[in-house]
Amino acid sequence: MARETTYLEEEFPSPMKQLWITFNKTPMAVLGLSCYLFLVILAIFGQFITPHSALEVGDALLTPPAWNDDGNLNYLLGTDDFGRDMLSRLVHGTSLTFGLSFLVVIFALIIGVVIGSFSALTRGIKASFLTHFLDVILSIPSLLLAIIIVAILGPGLENILWAIALVSIPQFVHVTRIAVKEEQKKAYVLIPILDGASEIRVLITSIFPNIIDKIIIQATLAQSAAILDIAALGFLGLGAPFPMPEWGSMLANSLDLFYIAPWTTYFPGLAILFTVVVTNLVGEGLRHSLKIQKDS
Amino acid sequence: MLIFALRRLNLLFFTLLMLTIVSFSLSYFFPGEAINNISGQINPSVEELAALNELYQMDKSIIHQYFAYVGQLLSGNFGISMANQTAISADLRHYLPSTIELCLAALFIAMVIGIPLGFLAAIYHNKPADKAILVFAMVGYSIPVFWLSLIFILVFSINLSWFPTSGQLNLLFEIKQVTGFKFVDILLSDSPYKYLAFKDALMHLVLPAFAVATAPTTLFIRLARTSMLEVLESNFIKAAKAKGLSKAKIILHHGVRNSLVHIIRQMGLHFANLVTVAMIAEVIFEWQGAGSWLIDSIFHRDYTAIQGGLIALAIFTFTINILFDFIYAAINPLERHKKHGA
Repeated sequence: MARETTYLEEEFPSPMKQLWITFNKTPMAVLGLSCYLFLVILAIFGQFITPHSALEVGDALLTPPAWNDDGNLNYLLGTDDFGRDMLSRLVHGTSLTFGLSFLVVIFALIIGVVIGSFSALTRGIKASFLTHFLDVILSIPSLLLAIIIVAILGPGLENILWAIALVSIPQFVHVTRIAVKEEQKKAYVLIPILDGASEIRVLITSIFPNIIDKIIIQATLAQSAAILDIAALGFLGLGAPFPMPEWGSMLANSLDLFYIAPWTTYFPGLAILFTVVVTNLVGEGLRHSLKIQKDS
Repeated sequence: MLIFALRRLNLLFFTLLMLTIVSFSLSYFFPGEAINNISGQINPSVEELAALNELYQMDKSIIHQYFAYVGQLLSGNFGISMANQTAISADLRHYLPSTIELCLAALFIAMVIGIPLGFLAAIYHNKPADKAILVFAMVGYSIPVFWLSLIFILVFSINLSWFPTSGQLNLLFEIKQVTGFKFVDILLSDSPYKYLAFKDALMHLVLPAFAVATAPTTLFIRLARTSMLEVLESNFIKAAKAKGLSKAKIILHHGVRNSLVHIIRQMGLHFANLVTVAMIAEVIFEWQGAGSWLIDSIFHRDYTAIQGGLIALAIFTFTINILFDFIYAAINPLERHKKHGA
C-alpha cells in the first residue's frame, strides 16, 4: 500500500487551534458563536439594510407589531410614540450597544494585559501595593465606580464608554497577572530563559500564546458586563442622549408608554437579553472546551 | 484564629486607606473648587470660607489636607449636601438602612434558592435536570435587572395585583423612624397596626428583592454546582461509597458541608455585584435607598453626596466581604490553622 508520507509525523496543534477543535464539538457554543457573528455583521452593516432610518419620524404613532390585528406590515415590530420604526431603531442600536461594548472591551483588554503582564514581572513592595490596590478596586461595585467617573466627566455616551473601559481594566490586569504568574512556574518557560532570552521576550514568545485563551474568556465576560452597563447607564439617563437608538435609553423612553404600548418595552429588553446571552454562550463554550482540554 | 483575624483587619485597614485616598482626590477631580466639593458649602461667606479652610487645612500641604479630611470623616462629618444643604451623614443614616435591608433580603433569597438548585444540578450532572437549571442560570445571569423589574411590575402588580408597584410602606401607616431599618422600626413602634404594617412592608419588599436576587441566584447556582462536582470527585467521597453509604447520606453528610466551604469563600466577592444590581432596582421601585439617592445626586451635581455615598456603599460591601471571610474561617478549620488538616 502506498503511503503518502514516509515518516509518521505527529502534529501538535497550537493552544488556540486545540481550543477551536473542542469548541467546535459543542453545539450550543457553535450556535452562540454564529449568533455572535450575526450581531457583529448587524452592527457593521445593519444601518444599510434597515427599511427606515433610526430618527425618521412617521405618521403612524404607536402602531403595534405586525402580528397584531392593528399592526402594519411596514413596521414589523411596531412604532414608538414618535412613529419611529422599532425594528430599524433596534438594528441601529446594535452598533451602539453591542458594537461600542466590543470596542470598549478591546481597549480595556490591551491596557489591562499590558499592565497585568508588567505587574507579573515586578516583585516586592510595588507588586504588593498593586495587588492591594486591585483588591480595593475589584471590591467596589463596578457600576458605582462607573457612576463616579461619569460624575467627574459629566453625562454623555462618550464619557460612559470611558468610564466602563476604566472599570473593566482591573479585571484584565487581575486575570493576566494570575495567568502569567502561573505559567512562569512551569518548566517550559525555563528553556528560553536558559537560552538567554530577556523577560519581555519570554513573555511575548512563550507565555502569551499559552494564556491568550484565558484572556479571551475574560473578554467575553467583560463584554457581557459592558453591554449591561452601557444599557443600565443609558436607562438611568446618564448615557446616550434622548434620540439615539441605544437600547437602554430606548427602554427608559418607553417607561411612560409601558401600559399602553408594552412592545416598546419588550423589544429593547429582549434585544439586550439576546445579546448578553449570546456573548455568555460564547464565553461559556470557550471555558467548557478549556476545561475539557485540561482534563484530557 | 488571631493571626487570621489580624490579617483580615490589616487588609481592611489598607482598603479603607485606599478608599479614603480615592474619595479625597475626588474633590480635586470634580469640577469646581476643592473646598466647595469637600464641604458641600456652595456659597460660603468670607468668614465661613476661612473657617472651612481652617477645618480642612486647605492652606497646608496635600498630606495635611488628607489627614484633616480623614479626621472629619472619623468624627462623622461628611460635609453637607450641595443640593439641599442637609448633612450627608443624616442623609446616609436615612437612606443606607433601606439599601442594607434590600441587599440582605436579596442575598438571603439568592442563597436559599441558588445553592440547593446548584447542588441539584451537580447531583444530576449531565441529566435533563442539570441542563434545565443551567439554562435558567444562563438566562437569569444575562437578563438586565431594569427590564426584569419592569416585567415583574407589569405581571405581578398590574396584571395580577399581588404586590404593590413601588415604595416601601403604605403611607397610611405612621411609623416613627428610629433606626432607619423599616422592619425594626415597625416592630419597635407602638402603633396598634404594627402587624398590618409589617405585612405591608413585607409585601413591598418581595418584588424588588426577587428582582435584585435573580443575578446573584444564578451566580450561586454555578458556584454550588462547580464546588459540589469537585467535592463529589474527591477521594473521601469514593471512600464513603466504598463503605457502602447511600447516595443521599454521602451528599448530606459529606458533600454539602465540604462544598459550602468553597461557596462561602467566593460569595463575598460577588456581593459587590449584588449591590450594583440593587442600586438600579432601587430607582425603578422608588425604594428610598442609598442607590437611588446616589443616582439622584449625580443629576443634581451633588459631589459631596457622591463622595459620601461611595464611602458608605463601599464600606458596606467590605464589611459583608469580611464577614463572609470570617464565616469561611469558622466552618473551614484548615484556614484557621494548618494543624487542623492532614
